[in-house]
This record gives sequence, structure tokens and C-alpha cells, in this order.
Amino acid sequence: MKDESNGRDMPMIKIKNLCFSYPDGTEAVKNISIAFPEENIFAIMGQSGSGKTTLLNCIARFLIPQKGAVLLNGRNIKEMGEKEFRKKVGVVFQQLNLFPHLTVLENMTLAPCKVQGKAISDAQTDAMSMLERLGIPELRDNYPSQVSGGQAQRAAIARGLMLSPQYMLLDEPTSSLDARTGSEFAGWLRELHEDTHFIIVTHDLLFAEQTAARGVVMRNGEFKESGEISAILKTFSYRENTDD
Amino acid sequence: MICFALLFFCVQSAHSQEQTSPEEFTTALTGKYPPFSYYNAKGELTGFDVDISREIAGRIGQPSRIVVTEWDGILAGLLAQKYDAIIGSMAITDQRREKVNFSEPYYHSGAQLFVHRDNPNKVYAIEECDNLRIAVVLGETYQYYLERNYPEIEVVTFKSTIEIFEMLEQKRISGFVTDKLVGLWQLKSTNRPFVPVGTMLYKEQIAIPVRRQDETLLAKINEALCEMHSDGTIKNIHDRYFGSAESKKISAMKTSVIAAKLLKGFGITLIIAASAIIIGFVLAVPCGVLLTHKKGLLLLPHLLVRTIVDFLRGTPVLIQLLFVWMGLGLRPFPAAILTLGINAMAYMAEVIRAGLISVDTGQSLAGQALGLSGLQRFSYIVWPQAFRIAIPPLMNSVVALIKDTALIAIISIPEIIRETQSVISVTFEPRKYYFLAALMFFVVTIPLMKLSGWLERRIKRKGYAND
Repeated sequence: MKDESNGRDMPMIKIKNLCFSYPDGTEAVKNISIAFPEENIFAIMGQSGSGKTTLLNCIARFLIPQKGAVLLNGRNIKEMGEKEFRKKVGVVFQQLNLFPHLTVLENMTLAPCKVQGKAISDAQTDAMSMLERLGIPELRDNYPSQVSGGQAQRAAIARGLMLSPQYMLLDEPTSSLDARTGSEFAGWLRELHEDTHFIIVTHDLLFAEQTAARGVVMRNGEFKESGEISAILKTFSYRENTDD
Repeated sequence: MICFALLFFCVQSAHSQEQTSPEEFTTALTGKYPPFSYYNAKGELTGFDVDISREIAGRIGQPSRIVVTEWDGILAGLLAQKYDAIIGSMAITDQRREKVNFSEPYYHSGAQLFVHRDNPNKVYAIEECDNLRIAVVLGETYQYYLERNYPEIEVVTFKSTIEIFEMLEQKRISGFVTDKLVGLWQLKSTNRPFVPVGTMLYKEQIAIPVRRQDETLLAKINEALCEMHSDGTIKNIHDRYFGSAESKKISAMKTSVIAAKLLKGFGITLIIAASAIIIGFVLAVPCGVLLTHKKGLLLLPHLLVRTIVDFLRGTPVLIQLLFVWMGLGLRPFPAAILTLGINAMAYMAEVIRAGLISVDTGQSLAGQALGLSGLQRFSYIVWPQAFRIAIPPLMNSVVALIKDTALIAIISIPEIIRETQSVISVTFEPRKYYFLAALMFFVVTIPLMKLSGWLERRIKRKGYAND
């Protein structure tokens, strides 16, 4: 696993000897170490139950590992303030968790206004330019229940991007999309990179290939393969993965 | 905690303000027992007992204050120091003597059986009433007399003679037993087709009960009564109400007076309901939140709130009301508002708890991912969704509470039910006025029910609630 230091100012998440077990004794993550490289989009692949979402939740600080550490730009995330950490690492959940009582625009302006103390008009201007950049400005006044799965997916990412995080963690982004929308979404995500690095957790190898250049495959809480996704796919077929 | 604090505050304030002011001579009666106590054409309280009460107050040198209350709770109210004496045509019985001291009698009367003029059961004496339905007013001495001496009679009880008259008019009962004087007077003023049959069942001495320890007051009352007997005052008052001229006038209560009485009663009902709803909701929010937290520091408050809520939901509101009024000694209005308020709190807290747990935990997690604090997540994400889900059942609680206010008549609050009954006691038109009272409730509750339905549809349309 690649684990050398990057450039001084480059954002970097490093994981050192991370172990996580659930209260029932299930070891979901077993002594994992990794430094997420500079790639804008990095994929963590694996079947359900392989431990990838648990790993994501440890990185997102929703789960506290029993052993090991997650370092963000050299600092243990356990020691960071909540606000500081959340500003640097955004999360888009598998279920999206858009707030159903707020419009898309209100979903996007809530955190800038309440967390960063921005004026509502400024936050709305920022949100509108974000929606335009993402190609969904017409959704501003729609409630989440009034938009399609693909649009909701984009709106959830737009909401996360409002805080300009260095890292954005996406959990199973294709679960609510059909195959065609999934590949469109992959193209769309590739165009987004700019300042934010995406770590995608997915069971969909095709989607991973369409979006990310590099990635890892997890199985039974451990990394099995890592490197270029195209290379991984050559040696690690979906069939082999499912047969295990 | 807030609930207990409020309770403590109310108890304190109740104790600081004595129930019966030492300067006033406070007496109780029902206001629904013409011609002894009733509302006249101007809507003023009047009657034989009212005049006796005022006369005694004048003679013992204290201003008179008359409390109108329900007959079935009138003795309990005396013992709970809600008033100094009952001047409401109460007969002396051994059972009552165990709890209170009676004055010298101020008049004598007796129990009489009345039947329908058609007399379908061919009854001419109480001894012939076995297996027949004979009515009495709940809590009156006639009930115990019949039950003890004529166990074969099916004794049925009603809140007042008005209901009994209606039942007999429809021949759903075979007859009724009441005070001979009152019965004859009422029949005359209402032109009912009833007749007295047989001799008087027994004679009764009507006197004034006071609490055991109020011996000085009892002596003063006896002295006043003695003077009133000897100087002819009692006879004058008797003639005023049992003379033919007055008895004809009584039922002529003006429509405007009736309307004013009913509207005032309904106004009081609404004020009490609104106050209780506000108290209930304000307490229900923190209690509802505590009901969803069972861990850590909140475990103890959680268990406390859970116990209070279960207790309030698991016991009748009427008993809670009587407990707060008599047990804790609160005045009628605070007692009604507090009881209905905390009762509403219990039901609303459960509704709010259900609303809160129906919000997906992912919602709060998403708020956390955006950097919102715990309070911000609750205020901007969880609460708005929970509240929207809770609105329809909360509205149901509000409607139920408005209807529950009908119970507070028992603790002598002149709300709509009491006022309706006092109007019926002189107009003898129960169908008309009970229907009017029901209509008043309906006018208020129907928009609330419609609003609830509209909100429910709107919430579903926007996808807040799960179908």
C-alpha cells in the first residue's frame, strides 16, 4: 500500500492500523492502513458485508475505532473540533438523507447559515451558483420528494459541497440510480473534482471504473487488491469476488 | 420537573389564598333546585335557600358569598373547606352526621312518590313498586332510603329532577321520589302530567351542615335561625317562593338572559380549554423529548416523566380533577386548568414522542455531517419533521380536551354544562338546551377537525409523513 508523505499543503487522509468491531463481536475492519492518494476520485469497492461502509463511518467519525487512527492532514481526527472536522470532510449517505421539510435550496443553505454564520442572501447566491454549476438550477424550490433519484443524488452532493470540504465521502452513490443514470452520474462526478477529493464506497465495479482511476477492494474487513482500477478489474473479476 | 414545579407553585398559591375568606360567610347550593335555588328572569341567583343564606349572613354580621356547585360533591366540598356551610335544602341523616354537624332544622319536608297521570303500572303506593324503575337524584337521601327499605325496587339515579321529568314523560321510568314541596311546585310550574300517589314515605328535617370544628359558627347560625323563626322571617321567605304569584313567574327567563348565560358559560369553557392546551403543549415538548432519551444522565428524568405520563393516561380525568380540587386544595379555576393541562401534556407528550422517533436517525446524522450542533439538529431538522407528523394527532388531543372540559362542572365552575343545566332547571327544556350546548362545542371543534384533516393531506403531499 502506498504510504509515503505527500506535498506539504496537499490534503491527505491517512489511516493507520485501524480496527473496528461491533458490540456483537463482528470484526468489520481488521488492521487497515492506507494513505488516500491525490486522485480526485478514489474508490473503495467490495461486496456488502465486506466492511467498506464501516471504514467510511470511521473516517467520517460516526464510529470510533477500537484501535488505530485516522489522520487528516497529519492530525488525528479524534482530536479535532467537530466544526473544524465537518468543514473539511463531507459525507453523502447511501440514503441521501435530504431534509424532506426543506426545499433543495433550503437544504443547501442550512449549514452555511447556521454553522458558518453566513447571511441568508449570501448563502442563497452561493447555493444558486452551485446548482447552476451542477446543472440543476430548476430544482431550487422543489422538495426532495418532488425530484428524481438522480436529481436527489446531485442535490445531496451539492448540499455537501456548500461547505467546500477537502474530502467528500460518498456511500453507495449508485444505489438509488438505474444503470443508465449511474453512468451519467459517473460522468457528471468526474467533471466536479476541482478542489474536493471524493472517496467513493461502492459495490458497483463498473461505476467505480467509470468514475475513479484508483481504488481498493475490501473483503472480510481487509484490503485485497489496490491500485489502478482497470488493473484491479483484470485480476479481480466480479465473479471471483462473488464466489468467495 | 416543570410539571412538578408548576404543581408546587399552584399548591403554594392555593394555600396562601385561603379557600374561604374569614370576612365572608360562604355557603353552597346547586342553583338547580327551584324554588329553593335557581336563576330568575334576569339570570340572577335566587330562591328560598338563597334568601335564607343572605339573611343568616346579615344576622351574623358577615357579607354573604354563595358558591354554586354540584349536589353529589357538595359535602366533600364543605369538608375540603371550599365554603363554610351548605344552605341547599340538605336533610339531616345519621350518615351525614358522622362527618358534619347540623344546625337546628329551618324547615321540614318529606319524601313523596310521583307517577305519570296515565299510571300504566297501576301503582298507588311505594310498596307496589317492586321490580319497577323508580328514579331519584344522585346523592339525595331518597336513594339510600329506597335501597335500604325497598331492595326489590330498581332505583335509577339522575343528575337532577329535570332529567327525571323527561324520563317519566317518555314513560321510560315508572315514577320518582323527591321532596314533596319541590315536586308539587315543579309540577305546577311545568304543567307536567304527573301526580303524587300514596302518603309521604317519611318526614325529613332540613338543616345547615358545617364542619365539626366550626362550633362557634354553628352557634351563630342556630342563634340566627332561632330569631328568624320567632320573628316570622322564615315564614315570609317561604311565602315569597311558595305563594302562587311567584311560582308562576319563575320559568319566564328572558331569551337574552339565557343567551348571555350560555355564551358566558361557553366563554369560560373556551378560556379554560385554551389555557390547558397552552400549558399542555409547553410541557409536552420537553416531556416528549425526555420520553425518547433513556440513557445516561437523562435516565432518571426519563423514568420520572414516563411514570407521570402513564399515571395520567391510566387514571380517569374526573378523579384527577377531584383530587387536585379537594386533595390539593386548589381553587376551582386553577384546579381545572392544571388538571386538564397536565392531562393534555400526558397525551401530547406521547404524540410528540411518537413523532420524534418516526424521524429517521439518518436525518440527524446528515445534520451532524454538515456540522450542525445537537440543538441545531433538533431545532432545524428533527423537530420540524416530528411536529408536522404530530400535528394531526395533536389536533385530536386538542379536540378531546375541549370536550373534556364538560367534566369541570363537578368542581363548581360555571362553564357551559353547568349553565345549561341551570337554564334547564327553570325552563324545563332539556332537549333544546342540551342540543344548543352540543352545537356550541361542535362549532368550535369542527374547524379544528377540518384543519387537522387539511394539514394531514398537505403533509402527505409534501412527503413529510410516511403513508
